[in-house]
Amino acid sequence: MSPDRLLIRDGEADTAVIAEYERSRRELVRRGMVAAGAVLAASTVPLLVRVRNAFAQADDDAAILRAAIEIEQAAVEAYQRSQAQLGGVARLFRNQERQHLELLTASLRQMGGTPPSPDVASQLKGLAGAGGRRDRALFAVELENAAVRAYEDAHRSLRDARLMQVATSILGNEAQHLVVLRQIAGREPVPSAFERGRG
Amino acid sequence: MHRRRFFHVAGLGAATLLVACGEENKGQGPIAGEKAQESAPEPAESDVADVNVLNSALDLEHQAVAAYTAAMKVLRGENLRAARTLRDQERAHVQALSRAIQRLGGRPNQAQRDYRFPRLRTEDEVLRFAIRLENTAISAYIDALPQLNSADLRAEGAAIVANEAQHLAVLNGALRERAAPTAFVTGEAAR
Repeated sequence: MSPDRLLIRDGEADTAVIAEYERSRRELVRRGMVAAGAVLAASTVPLLVRVRNAFAQADDDAAILRAAIEIEQAAVEAYQRSQAQLGGVARLFRNQERQHLELLTASLRQMGGTPPSPDVASQLKGLAGAGGRRDRALFAVELENAAVRAYEDAHRSLRDARLMQVATSILGNEAQHLVVLRQIAGREPVPSAFERGRG
Repeated sequence: MHRRRFFHVAGLGAATLLVACGEENKGQGPIAGEKAQESAPEPAESDVADVNVLNSALDLEHQAVAAYTAAMKVLRGENLRAARTLRDQERAHVQALSRAIQRLGGRPNQAQRDYRFPRLRTEDEVLRFAIRLENTAISAYIDALPQLNSADLRAEGAAIVANEAQHLAVLNGALRERAAPTAFVTGEAAR
């Protein structure tokens, strides 16, 4: 799915969203993602922008939970479809993302909310283009980076202290995933004292 | 209430301190044009509270710097290089927390003159001790973050605790154990 189609379908094709898409794309290019594979970059950007926008627009705890659930749904699907490339790592991480998903969903339902059901599979269509182990790890790095940024942002706005603790404990796990995936991708596993989901 | 038990009971995370805190002020000041409620903390009071929380975290970071420095006398090769990196990152946390405390008008706690660590002879013992310290720090941050009034400080603290979780992954890997063994990093093993 092209970024344009995603944005228009979501009815969010305003200038801010397009600017954010451009900013994200430039950031990926700057980090050499396109050099690693144009298909890879093109396939991750729409999802990452969507996730970013979902968190930016969330104005209460339930909205933040729904955005977090979308990330976890995408991560479960991405790891489910990466078992051939990443083996046991993909299975372990898929199972952990499922646990995040289950807890977040239960929390949202407890608040009277309904979990979203986005078309995750179509958002990850480009995943097939990242066929090798390293490319697949890089794709997952971008997903995990987006999750880390989102959960850190959530710490600014979550009102419920217990939900914030859930977010912190999930953030820690996503940050650990980054360590493993960066190693697979040949990157420095813990490049900074402050993990902000940018490496 | 024990955090793990609360996870099971409510399906959510919690800790003793936070049950008492409830819906506390998280840096969301009074709405423009509205009179602030008398019960709302004055900015200075919330800053003082944040300084106290940050200083507690700072104490643990000082301890971690000392522990990794001591560990470097036992570790060799790749483990020694990893310990140096982790020590330097803990130092960066010390600096960041100290600056944050100063910005709030507080006085950052200084490192103790010396720390009493158990006598550790093997690399495995050192790595496992480091894991205990990291778990203690993670547990403390999970308790502390919701107490911070400043949204920026909560986000900064989240970036630090994410890094501490990564340290755990590195240490687990050095012990040839699973780097990310659980879906929720709670520091639970420290309790």
